[in-house]
Amino acid sequence: MSILILAFAIILAVMSLTQKNTVAAVLAFVLMMFSLGIYYILLGEKLLGLFQIFVYTGGIVVLTLFGVTVVGSKFPEFKIRPWAMTVVSVVIIGLLIIPFLLPNISYAGKVIPLKDQVKIFTDFYSLIAIFMGVVGASILYGSIRMLHTLKYGKE
Amino acid sequence: MAEFYIDAIAALILFGVGLYGVTSKSDFLKIFFSLEMLLNAVILLLASGAYHFGLTRGLAVAYVIIVIATLEAAAGILIFILSNRITGEIIPDNLDKAVEDE
Repeated sequence: MSILILAFAIILAVMSLTQKNTVAAVLAFVLMMFSLGIYYILLGEKLLGLFQIFVYTGGIVVLTLFGVTVVGSKFPEFKIRPWAMTVVSVVIIGLLIIPFLLPNISYAGKVIPLKDQVKIFTDFYSLIAIFMGVVGASILYGSIRMLHTLKYGKE
Repeated sequence: MAEFYIDAIAALILFGVGLYGVTSKSDFLKIFFSLEMLLNAVILLLASGAYHFGLTRGLAVAYVIIVIATLEAAAGILIFILSNRITGEIIPDNLDKAVEDE
């Protein structure tokens, strides 16, 4: 059951990036978030699942639909970047190999249990993810704000 | 244990799809979708770790990530509108032309 829901979510994630129609892309995005919320509820994390469903399929989708009114019904044409697929495929293959290498990681001759390895991720790397998200959003907004100032001057 | 690996692999694939979207897509809406996928891959791994290993401390981080994703969505809409106002389109590659035209 869990494999089915996760496979469904991944297929919808790919669909939301490959659709040319904006509304279909938003719908695929919504269904992906909804299926992930259902999966969290099945995992026993009811509050997290409900939070996911309320926030993503409720709040963020309204904002993206507002974005759709700006974009129009079709996505604009763009140039394909061939290097992106190469870089990302290398990263995905590398990340997919890591789970199979995890049980063999050892420190001072002792194999580190998987629970401790996941604990390191929980305690350290996830905090970096939050920090990078905040910094990335700030840089994006600041760069466009700077462009606006460059174009129209200080108003 | 095998179920955790299924979750971990699904999270990594979702992270890979999001990374591909961030690096290859050229309009703000798809980049925004991809950023949300990156954050959701992290949330999936944290929830799976909490369920399989009892690391409930990660759930607090997951809630914070959801809140930050909401703030990021609001910032994303601001970026849409500013970009559309400056260049008339939502492609970040064309933002530099807006300054050159001046």
